[in-house]
Amino acid sequence: MNTTSSISSLKAVASPPLFISTFRPTVKSLRNPKFPSRFSPKRIRCMQDSNINLNFGSKSNPNPSSSHEFSVSFATVSSLEAEEALLTTTTTTSSADKLRLLVTEFRSLTEPIDRVKRLLNYATVLAPLDDSARVPANRVTGCTTQVWLEIKKDELGRMRFKADSDSEISKGFCSCLIWILDGAKPEEVMGVRSEDLSEMNVGVHGKAQSRVNTWHNVLMSMQKRTLPFFDGDDDDVAHREEDRRLVQHRQEHDLLFNYVNGRRRSYMESSDYSVSLLPLDYDFTI
Amino acid sequence: MEGVAMKLPSFKSLAPNAISFAVGHRSFTRVRRSFSLSVCSVASSSATIAADSEPVSLGRRARKDFRILHQEVNGSKLVYLDSAATSQKPAAVLDALQNYYEFYNSNVHRGIHYLSAKATDEFELARKKVARFINASDSREIVFTRNATEAINLVAYSWGLSNLKPGDEVILTVAEHHSCIVPWQIVSQKTGAVLKFVTLNEDEVPDMDMLREMLSQKTKLVAVHHVSNVLASSLPIEDIVVWAHDVGAKVLVDACQSVPHMVVDVQKLNADFLVASSHKMCGPTGIGFLYGKSDLLHEMPPFLGGGEMISDVFLDHSTYAEPPSRFEAGTPAIGEAIALGAACDYLSGIGMPKIHEYEVELSKYLYEKLSSLPDVRIYGPRPSESVCRAALCSFNVEGLHPTDLATFLDQQHGVAIRSGHHCAQPLHRYLGVNASARASLYFYNTKEEVDSFIVALADTVSFFNSFK
Repeated sequence: MNTTSSISSLKAVASPPLFISTFRPTVKSLRNPKFPSRFSPKRIRCMQDSNINLNFGSKSNPNPSSSHEFSVSFATVSSLEAEEALLTTTTTTSSADKLRLLVTEFRSLTEPIDRVKRLLNYATVLAPLDDSARVPANRVTGCTTQVWLEIKKDELGRMRFKADSDSEISKGFCSCLIWILDGAKPEEVMGVRSEDLSEMNVGVHGKAQSRVNTWHNVLMSMQKRTLPFFDGDDDDVAHREEDRRLVQHRQEHDLLFNYVNGRRRSYMESSDYSVSLLPLDYDFTI
Repeated sequence: MEGVAMKLPSFKSLAPNAISFAVGHRSFTRVRRSFSLSVCSVASSSATIAADSEPVSLGRRARKDFRILHQEVNGSKLVYLDSAATSQKPAAVLDALQNYYEFYNSNVHRGIHYLSAKATDEFELARKKVARFINASDSREIVFTRNATEAINLVAYSWGLSNLKPGDEVILTVAEHHSCIVPWQIVSQKTGAVLKFVTLNEDEVPDMDMLREMLSQKTKLVAVHHVSNVLASSLPIEDIVVWAHDVGAKVLVDACQSVPHMVVDVQKLNADFLVASSHKMCGPTGIGFLYGKSDLLHEMPPFLGGGEMISDVFLDHSTYAEPPSRFEAGTPAIGEAIALGAACDYLSGIGMPKIHEYEVELSKYLYEKLSSLPDVRIYGPRPSESVCRAALCSFNVEGLHPTDLATFLDQQHGVAIRSGHHCAQPLHRYLGVNASARASLYFYNTKEEVDSFIVALADTVSFFNSFK
């Protein structure tokens, strides 16, 4: 199978319209970054432009001779697996597929600096967020950086996300999550588990349930605010195998969301306490 | 090898009598010998230390007691610059904890058997050690708590709820840690007392003139930090106490960032309450303490109810034990308290004046190096002959988020710093920023580590700027 053509297909199918329409790389962002002397001037492979990689879920070029080398090991992913992943993507654009692809991509980046570079590149393609959306109600709590998340449901019943942060790395996280979930059905959004993101961690060690884990906190915020739109009786998904898991997942969230929605007050006596007091990073799963 | 060395009563080699700071060549020889004898096999760096022509710094000598510092993180040698968040623990402290659980784990103040008696003796000895460490006149003035936050809450709920009434004023500064703001907010909501905040002056330290002007007959409490965990500034607690007492107000001192780093003498300060945390002073987590003047503690009602804090319990009422037991409901953190006592021994063995002297030197070096980098803004006062900063710098680099800096420093350079608001959101808001990075040192850090940090930071800034 021709890998290049697969990747091209991937780009066309997997990149959300939002991404394509809003991506206007500046001369500055396209130039080869001036890395400090201790870093070799490694380029990040890109399907659109050989200088940068702005294709979510892609992996580095296995053939370094075609571009500057990028110290990414494919050792953890067999070529068969990779091909399978790519093939899958050409036929579906489900959030689960995108997530798998992104996990594979980050897993292939064995050097922490490469993960950071990748995120910074993804940060550059994050669609801008209107100033009017930078309101306290849109703040994602629990992060050490400021993250704003705007959530809407479009006329097709799909969730639309926009986000921004004052941290470039957090913007990279947001960019990835939006690529995965923007345009997804509510049940797809609710179906993503934070553990699935654990392999994409940059700068956070160990378990995903860290207070400073932006991946986790942004995802939780996406899910918390998608919940009101989530109708578990949707006929489209009624017979899907993963339905049971979704329901279970929702039940697991109930404890948290009951707090959020004020159905449980035992957490605090008064209803005046801010939702931001809630441990969004806490995993209630036993 | 290192494991074996850790079993040694390591702080002895740091005791003032064993090592003196070298002035002449002769005393330096003595330093080298005693150091080499005790720890020559611990780390390879020891050999190079002995060959140096400069006196061996306290930091270098102390590091042998902290096994955790001798490791690689993300492929780089660990440079731990987050001691203001929590300090590392020397072998002597870990040994004390291990010994308790291994040889005499038992509940205190209850059993008549040998182990319980031994545990009780050691637990109460730890209280005496803490009392001596801050020069309290009586160990009964030391109440063990979970941490400093709980100690402040204890005063807020016990003293605050029974002494504050509508219209009374509590004076704080905008630079307080959240633990010294939120409990007073809760108590003021319950009592109707008013919180008043001292802001910063042009030197970026809490304005003492403003504090003096705020004091009035309405003032019932002044609750302030001793050393700021963000600004690195110190408050003149002795003066504040005099001013506050003049109007009949009590003073609570949050000494979390001072007790681990300098001599703190509660009798000299004459503060009414003082709190500190074990884990910031080489002790374990899960234990902190409240110092309170005896007469005040005696007047205060219990904070939590349960075992240990009672005298007699009837179905309809109970009578309470004398302080400090009155405030220590339930089984305390026994091993942790004992290990805190060991931490006091360890720090005293080195000598708090010596630790402070060394940290002043480190602090100046850190400030000088950090301020030499372009686009770096350090918060707090500029050091001078009259202004002595604590050994920490909170800072921001123009155009870069501190969390991005901290992430890269960790991943690429093994440098551990803190980013965020450091539990001082109002202060950050006052400074006009949402977050800052903070490098905080302790006596086990060295100038070489500061150099490594500066090189790593310059590299980090260069990396991110290359993406702009």
